[in-house]
Amino acid sequence: MNGPRLLVLGAGLGLAVLLPHVAGPFWMTLVTQMYIFGLLALSVDLLLGHAGLFSLCHASFFAVSAYTVAILQVRHDVPTALAVPAAILAGTVLALLFGLAVRTRGVYFILITIAFGFVVWGLAHRWSSFTGGDNGITSVPFPALGPFRIQSTFEYYHLVLAVVVLCAIGYRTLIASPFGLTLRGIKASESRMRSLGYHTDLHLYTAFVVSGALASLAGVLYVYHNRFVNPVAAAFQISVEAALMAIVGGSGTILGPFLGSVVILGLRNWVSSFFELWAAVMGAVFIAAVLWAPEGLVGLARRARAVARRAPEPETTVP
Amino acid sequence: MSAAPAAIEVAELTREFGGLRAVDQVSLRVASGERRVLIGPNGAGKTTLFHCITGTLRPSAGRVVFFGREVTRLAEHRRTVLGMGRTFQITNVFADLSLLENLVLAVMGTDRRKWVMHRSVSGFAGACDRARQGLDRVGLIHRAEDPVKLLSYGERRQLELALALGSNPRVLFLDEPCSGLSPSERQRVSRTIGHLPRQITVFMIEHDMDVALGLADRVTVLHRGRVILEGTPGEVQTNPEVRDVYFGHV
Amino acid sequence: MTTGAILQAINGTSLAALLFLLASGFTLSFGLMRVVNMAHGAYYLLGGYIGLSIAERTGSFTLAILGGGAGIVVLGFLVDRFLIRHTGENHLAQVLLTVGVAFVIGDVALHIWGGDTLMVPTPAVLRGAVELPGGIVYPRYRFVLILFGVVVGAALWLLYRKTALGAVVRAGVDDREQVSATGINVDRLFVLVSALASFLAGTAGVVGGAFLALYPGAEWEILVVALVVVIIGGLGSLEGAMLGAVIVGLLDAYGRWLLPEFSYFVLFGPMAVLLLLRPRGIFGREG
Repeated sequence: MNGPRLLVLGAGLGLAVLLPHVAGPFWMTLVTQMYIFGLLALSVDLLLGHAGLFSLCHASFFAVSAYTVAILQVRHDVPTALAVPAAILAGTVLALLFGLAVRTRGVYFILITIAFGFVVWGLAHRWSSFTGGDNGITSVPFPALGPFRIQSTFEYYHLVLAVVVLCAIGYRTLIASPFGLTLRGIKASESRMRSLGYHTDLHLYTAFVVSGALASLAGVLYVYHNRFVNPVAAAFQISVEAALMAIVGGSGTILGPFLGSVVILGLRNWVSSFFELWAAVMGAVFIAAVLWAPEGLVGLARRARAVARRAPEPETTVP
Repeated sequence: MSAAPAAIEVAELTREFGGLRAVDQVSLRVASGERRVLIGPNGAGKTTLFHCITGTLRPSAGRVVFFGREVTRLAEHRRTVLGMGRTFQITNVFADLSLLENLVLAVMGTDRRKWVMHRSVSGFAGACDRARQGLDRVGLIHRAEDPVKLLSYGERRQLELALALGSNPRVLFLDEPCSGLSPSERQRVSRTIGHLPRQITVFMIEHDMDVALGLADRVTVLHRGRVILEGTPGEVQTNPEVRDVYFGHV
Repeated sequence: MTTGAILQAINGTSLAALLFLLASGFTLSFGLMRVVNMAHGAYYLLGGYIGLSIAERTGSFTLAILGGGAGIVVLGFLVDRFLIRHTGENHLAQVLLTVGVAFVIGDVALHIWGGDTLMVPTPAVLRGAVELPGGIVYPRYRFVLILFGVVVGAALWLLYRKTALGAVVRAGVDDREQVSATGINVDRLFVLVSALASFLAGTAGVVGGAFLALYPGAEWEILVVALVVVIIGGLGSLEGAMLGAVIVGLLDAYGRWLLPEFSYFVLFGPMAVLLLLRPRGIFGREG
């Protein structure tokens, strides 16, 4: 990582840390949400931007994990130290199961993940005795680890920021690793990879499960932020928005999904304050993104820089 | 007297598509270290035969044996680990990646460390060195960091060959390595193949007669999925049936 | 117990008829034009709402069905021509784009028809119940729906398998380049098939809205079940859509009856089995 970039990142991080001190609770809550959904978008992008798999069921891991924390902490008084690993485990086990979808490619994969996602949403919705149905589960406490108790949204903001930064660093290593390169190889030419000795199905399955684990972590952060969970967390819209965030921000990058989260959540917040049909606006953003900015903000920035430098332009296709 | 196992042994191999027999009871034996060329008119089933041997396709009937080991039902990637390497008729490289990344993937394909998730690729000095050597072997080292998209067609064919060699194959399957190349590029490819050590067995499909007959120890002629002749380049060149198949109306 | 089982069989078959209407258009769109149109559910809902308004204003169920279908044909054409056309064969882009379209349609519909659950009024002749042997009393409407589904299915099948037009469509599903090479106007063929798919979706909305009701969110619930039909039956196969619809319809009905809390879950089972054994669906081909 070069000097100027490091500087910009450092400045960004500094701003992030300072934010709750200068802005009001509304902004702090919103930005915390942006971090959480950015992480979810990042998990989707591991598959989308690197392996070339478009999964639309990630809300399932997100929600299962959130529900696990809620059920354990609220109904069974299980401490955070156990509830969190259990939640991530639950989401990961679901990913091990849904990973079956990796036996297909292309359109089939997309459709199957959509259907899988609805199975979880349906369960959350109808299995009222267990999930609380539409009302969900409320009164989730703040996380507490031994002597460390989060006691305010202010403190929680910093916890989320720290977790997200650590995840981003880990993610960076993952995508730069041999495993990360194999994913990009599979995306570029799966047939070539097989002829070079790679068990591509297994690599994709592994990536799916890792991605599911990351989405589960986002789910844990989510439920402690909202202090409740309901079937909305498992909704198709969540999965689609996560993918859109990755694309709008810039698929295949680390910053992209977070930028996308800022844009989408910011836009929704702003539009819904004065326009009733904000879901329609969101739909229009989907359409606009696909037609005019398929490589996202990061891609646009790269193109702008390339034009400034008169270098050959990178290709523009939705990944 | 025990003979060294053949590099490739194919017995009664058949591959059907719907009602059509693309490969029809083909049997052949390629000795270790041999340079075998497979020729035949378009649609003779040459590439399909390759696919069945390397594992891209499963045969409808018959057997494939690799250095004495039965591999008929073995998955494609496992055959590569055993020592098969191949190039494709239609250039199949990693277009979105850099040349170096292409070779690193080729080199690590048979390496357990391809599963490592906690260290950057650049930390694997051995693999990166071998990748660079692979690029050097085909004269592309000066473009290591370039994206494949900037390469010419001929350069991509070179890269294709480098990828196939990257996994240190015992048998190299080349599917029309010279197709679409200029005469000077053909010479270059011909030389590269000619200089390959005899530890590597070469099984090649080629249309260009000069290249084919210049490199071959033995030639197998395929027509409509069947082997119609097998022999030395001289024998094949003078055989009237072969001439009919190529220039006549069969 | 058997009475219940028979009742669910009829329930399932009537749902299958509805699912077939929706799934057949979706699968043919993909088979011929390689288009994945996730707005099909929204077409269903909007078609239903349009039909509802027409039925309320004119009292004619027939007009409602035709109007709902026609409205979606127009909308579908606009979406195809001005939006989907730009995505080529990029399925990911198509999914995102058409999901966006569905969001827009859904929100606009919410704004116009509100958030209450609405039912399309059925004509008097279709109301009431039929008495079956064994003392089972069953809504007449559902029977007619099954009949309707069979008629449409048979008509589509005949069109697809026994006419020259169908032969061209089948050839196009198999190999699009070859068809255009023979000089047939492929573009017009696409518009025709797409219009048929849209019409079926809109009609399904009116017909379905009379017994399943219309409400915000219904477009996704019906779409996902139709997707399962298409997954099981295989993308691009009309026969697959038929078989898949029957399987899914029956599974859904029995699932809701035996395990009401787990009804979506019941659909998961066969999908998982299919993935393990035959990832391309029963009649499917490489996508």
